[in-house]
Amino acid sequence: MTVPLDPAVASLVAGFELPFRDGYLPSIVFVSLYVSVTAVALSTLVSVPVAVAVGLTEFRGRRLLTSVVNTGMGFPSVVVGLAVLFVVSNQGPLGPLELVFTREAMILSQFVLATPPITAITLAAVAGVDDGVRDAAHALGGTRVDVALAVLREARYGIATAVLAGFGRAISEVGSVLIVGGNIAGADGISKTRTLTTAIQLEARQGRYETAMLLGGVLLALVLAVNVVVVRLGGGVGR
Amino acid sequence: MLRATDVAQSYGDGPVVRELSVEVASGEVVAVIGPSGVGKTTLLRTLAFAREPTDGRVTLDGTDPWAVGADERLALRRRVGMVFQEPGLFDASVARNVEYGLRVRRSWSERLGDGLRSLVGSNGTAGAVREALEAVGLAGAADRHAGSLSGGEAQRASFARALAYDPDVLLLDEPTSDLDPRNTAVVEEAIAAARARGIGVVVATHDMHQAERVADRAAVLLDGRLIETGPTDRVFDDPDDPRARRFINGELVYRSRAPPRLSGGREPGTWPASRRWRRPSARWSSGGAAAAAAAAAG
Repeated sequence: MTVPLDPAVASLVAGFELPFRDGYLPSIVFVSLYVSVTAVALSTLVSVPVAVAVGLTEFRGRRLLTSVVNTGMGFPSVVVGLAVLFVVSNQGPLGPLELVFTREAMILSQFVLATPPITAITLAAVAGVDDGVRDAAHALGGTRVDVALAVLREARYGIATAVLAGFGRAISEVGSVLIVGGNIAGADGISKTRTLTTAIQLEARQGRYETAMLLGGVLLALVLAVNVVVVRLGGGVGR
Repeated sequence: MLRATDVAQSYGDGPVVRELSVEVASGEVVAVIGPSGVGKTTLLRTLAFAREPTDGRVTLDGTDPWAVGADERLALRRRVGMVFQEPGLFDASVARNVEYGLRVRRSWSERLGDGLRSLVGSNGTAGAVREALEAVGLAGAADRHAGSLSGGEAQRASFARALAYDPDVLLLDEPTSDLDPRNTAVVEEAIAAARARGIGVVVATHDMHQAERVADRAAVLLDGRLIETGPTDRVFDDPDDPRARRFINGELVYRSRAPPRLSGGREPGTWPASRRWRRPSARWSSGGAAAAAAAAAG
């Protein structure tokens, strides 16, 4: 098609043709998933051992630590983005890595956002495991590691919930990825640091509401799909 | 031989139990009797090497686990089984629960191999698990989920979990406190079977009838001290300590008759000796235990 048409007319003519270029949507979905899944995976690797250690040991300041983690669930994402931007900016401690406006910086900020909910919910799940289970695992000859594994296994549904909460927080936030990622797409329309949320924000601001709504639908479908997968995995363990 | 010598145990404010000396040889059943909250569980936890005594020593065949390295302590701890009052079953199948003690005793590579094999279906520990479940009358329940068991079945499964790895000493904390007479009889028969296999058993109970039925020796725990220890018959018929005598007599009367009156009357434990309960003559025949349990509850 050589004659340029008004985009709305073009989409009417083309029927089901998407209101943007090929590759745009898949690249945004890829960036969204890549950033959020990596951030949540790293966060889970850190949060779960910390939550189990805190949940299974008594020490001074435990309540304070729990309060701090719970407070972290309410961190405003733009403030986290700003803080991460300072850290990765040229003058910041991670300046030499040149992470400004990269996916890695976005992973870092989503890691900071996802860690408190994952830690707090895992901690609650671990603390909720019956003392009798810990006593039994120890009395039956389990080492500290065995006891921790038994408790983890008992808390698996709570931990699945924690991971889902962290993922929900990460994939749905706009503020920090906008600040540290910059919402960049190339001249070819392929996303570099544009996620579904920042794309929706941009499209809506520019008045392309149908594109924004389509992207919103894709985001909802992604979150739903991840929920189904995690609940399936969690529910399938050992049954 | 598991032996506690002058053991004391404190939790923050003052000792819970003190000057405890008790021992159990293989093939012997020792009952620790006393009212609830008197320190029976604390004593059992100490005997299970779950908690270092604040004073005194606990030894298994002469070795003090708190005087040796962590590996040796673990090895000693693994020769002792403890069954808690609360079943504390894992959220898994009954078989997987009973298998737990065997599983943690294997190396990580063996456990990985077992995990892979269990995906295919076969499992090397099935024999020991089946034996333990049969001992508590749960042979048919191996594949059921632990959450679907009744209270009595859960307590029996918890017992089977400790039997599966064939400990030298078995510590039972109120193993039948929530059980009906039939389940109680099954557990008491399992205790007798363990004794016959040469396992030393310490059973903490507030049920005098049970102590007389299952135990070779009895120890009375009151106010954090063992005030009377000896062969069961002598402890029950002719206790030296006057408090033990009052406790045994009072407890027996109010368990077999009306509950104690808390206001205006005598305190429990002060009933006259003439109102003593008579114990059933049958001990340790399998029908007898059930009959005695039924009589006790009825």
